[in-house]
Amino acid sequence: MLQLVLYNVTNGLIIGAFYVLMALGLSLILNLSNVINFAHGNFLALGGYIAFVLTPFLGYWGALIVSPLITALFGFAIERLMIRRVYSRDPVYSLLLTFGLAFIMQDACRYVWGPSGLQTSIPDILSAPLSADLFFITWYRIFMVALVIAAVSGLFAFLRFTRVGIRIRAGTLDLDTVSILGVNVGMLRSMNFAVGSLLAGLAGVLAAGQVGLNPNMGDDLLMPSFIAIIVGGVGSLTGTLCGGLLIGVAGALTTVFWPAASEAVIYVIMLVVLILRPRGLMGQEGMMS
Amino acid sequence: MSMLDIRNVTKQFGSLVAVNSVSMQVAAGELRAIIGPNGAGKTTFFNMISGFFAPSAGDIVFDGTTVTKLAVAERVAMGMARTFQITEIFPELTVRENIRIGVESALGLRQRFWIGATQKAEVNRGIDEALTQTGLTVSADRLVGELSHGDQRAAEIATALTLKPRLLLLDEPTAGMGEHETYAVANLIRRLHKNSAYTIVLIEHDMRVVFNLADKITVLGEGKMLAEGTPDEIAANPIVQEAYLGKAE
Amino acid sequence: MSTATTTAVTTPVMPARPWLTTAIIFAALLTVPVWLPMLGGYTALAGRVLVLGLAAMSFNLLLGFTGVMSFGHAAYFGLGAYGAGLTLKYIAPSTPLAMVGGVLLGGILGSLFGRLIAQRRGVYFAMVTVAFGQIAFYVTYSWDSLTGGYDGLRGFSRAPLNLGFTTIDITNNSTYFYYFLLFVFAVATGLQALLLASPFGRTLVAIRENERRARFLGIPIERHIWMSFSISCCFTALAGALYALLNNFADPMGLHYSLSGEIVIMTVMGGMRAFWGPLIGAALFVVLQDYISSMTVNWMSFVGLIFVLVVLFFPRGLLGMLQKGTQR
Repeated sequence: MLQLVLYNVTNGLIIGAFYVLMALGLSLILNLSNVINFAHGNFLALGGYIAFVLTPFLGYWGALIVSPLITALFGFAIERLMIRRVYSRDPVYSLLLTFGLAFIMQDACRYVWGPSGLQTSIPDILSAPLSADLFFITWYRIFMVALVIAAVSGLFAFLRFTRVGIRIRAGTLDLDTVSILGVNVGMLRSMNFAVGSLLAGLAGVLAAGQVGLNPNMGDDLLMPSFIAIIVGGVGSLTGTLCGGLLIGVAGALTTVFWPAASEAVIYVIMLVVLILRPRGLMGQEGMMS
Repeated sequence: MSMLDIRNVTKQFGSLVAVNSVSMQVAAGELRAIIGPNGAGKTTFFNMISGFFAPSAGDIVFDGTTVTKLAVAERVAMGMARTFQITEIFPELTVRENIRIGVESALGLRQRFWIGATQKAEVNRGIDEALTQTGLTVSADRLVGELSHGDQRAAEIATALTLKPRLLLLDEPTAGMGEHETYAVANLIRRLHKNSAYTIVLIEHDMRVVFNLADKITVLGEGKMLAEGTPDEIAANPIVQEAYLGKAE
Repeated sequence: MSTATTTAVTTPVMPARPWLTTAIIFAALLTVPVWLPMLGGYTALAGRVLVLGLAAMSFNLLLGFTGVMSFGHAAYFGLGAYGAGLTLKYIAPSTPLAMVGGVLLGGILGSLFGRLIAQRRGVYFAMVTVAFGQIAFYVTYSWDSLTGGYDGLRGFSRAPLNLGFTTIDITNNSTYFYYFLLFVFAVATGLQALLLASPFGRTLVAIRENERRARFLGIPIERHIWMSFSISCCFTALAGALYALLNNFADPMGLHYSLSGEIVIMTVMGGMRAFWGPLIGAALFVVLQDYISSMTVNWMSFVGLIFVLVVLFFPRGLLGMLQKGTQR
């Protein structure tokens, strides 16, 4: 029994880690630019596919580093070419734009790499389990969690200590003041979008090693990312972090006792939060609009 | 008894104290001007009176009723109306349509899916009355967004008047206006003041308007009340002079 | 939303001669069985346009007229379809009852949900609506004992209309069914038009134009948004019910968020500030989608491209651009 619970909690934390990675990227873009990136799941897939393409040339580790960077570049380009044109307009347009982008990206991936899944390989040292008893904890899973922790810490450090990061945080609170202080808001938004895309790309590379590649791989993570943000509270990255872990673990624990309900429990948590504490666990008052 | 009684109202945003324990009593039918240098907390003060956000401390009493915690719509229902520094109207609608929304809201019709002929007539009467009061009958069917600054402000005031308010809060009514328009708006306010059904509190920077219209003036500086009195008293007050012009060398 | 008033959609609601557009549209719709086959189309396609057009117009009560973004509206459409299907399958073979069933299911759930989220605005509101849509989708495909899961709900069909003095066979005669659809469509849109012309409708426009100002006019914003949301959901559910009747089938994809996005793009394509805009948008979209999917396997890219092009180059939509032309 203990092993079963442990197995599922570990799974839950890993899934939660993915939710967190995705949701943080989404949240960054949402907070600063007021844009819901419906194509975020597709950026994840892109990250995975690019790694697949690069691995023969750069090896696993090289691809792991380079692929998210290329994804970030792609995000940067998309933001500058398309999304920045609609900031001054009604928010419905930016939503429609990322929506359409999602369609295009999904179909493009399908066209280039085929509709069925592709196998990816991970280095042998990572495939080995930790021990015979804890067979379900492979080094790869530990590696994934460690990498997510590193990425998240890196993100928070970036936001706290670097100039760009501080400006992003300030911009989230009051973009007008930031621009009056002479900051190039346009570039700030582009970089912010790039950082969000980087996180998605990284998640994609990691996910590819776990579940393989297919054009829809991002879809399953997109909705839980939304919910992680809603549960954690709009405007709060820490909230998103907690929200993601919470729903990951909750889903996993439910699998132990009531497998059929494990997906539903995420929605139930969201509804409960909406009823009891609409601004989310760590949301700030007045961040609703 | 005063129409508006503000008691030791304070507003803090984190560690920033925007309004620091300010008190003010406005009598019924009075025209009170609130003046002060930029950043003195005037608009924050106004926002608390009209209910946009609640004070951190203190109470606001409107005609004997404590309204400190009431929502905006409730205060409007009690007779408070407000205009904004940057004219806030519905730019894509005509003057008539703008005013109509106010009239229907005031008559309690805003949730109706259908109204009968008598009520329609009543609504139209209300609209015509507001138009005449503010001199906008000529521009009634023009889009508000296309009017001159002064007419836009008049349209905004007209819409506010349809709510049959007892207290009119005007936030910098002559902001951004030239000579001519300032004069027109000031005259409009003077006409309203003569009709003693309205108590008027306004924030203004234009001293000619303030000293010409106000019965009493309240001076705010750095969130605190610096002085209060008739125009003559204020003009002679050294603290006020210092706040505006800085310490004499 | 009001602080971002755009220059892209500043044209007023009513075109120069409002009755003209309505007359043209109904003239075209009434004569569909005559001209559509000549262009290579078929009546069921027109039925599809009507149903999706109604869904888009109902959605636009929220977006174009109240200024509120819902990106999960397919949920109510799908719920309406399932409501109708379940009614026909398990309760009674009665078409009017099926429509009522659909409206109730979609309308009540929409109303409950709207109550929860009326406080939110802008993109956060949109996010929560997407999430709720996903919940509805999930319940639909999981509860397969009731709904048939991924395969959809089958085993029901629309019943002939028994009017007492005569029975109209809408089950087998597709032309009769088309006119039935058109009749329901006309009644529904008529009600919507009356609604928008009433004081309530004007208040919604006020909220769209300048929420803060509306609040200071004593308008209880949250309550009105909730009412608008509920009404929109009811009409959207009606459209869904009609869709189930059209296809004798209801499936989870009718609740998927991709359909939600399509409803939005139809509305914007046709012109979200114009009453008939969404219908025109729906017609355009359905025809384009039909044509493209018959030409290429990569139709999804083209659909996505439509989204992008409309947003970047035709934000005011077709009717929006036409109105601008006749205005000054």
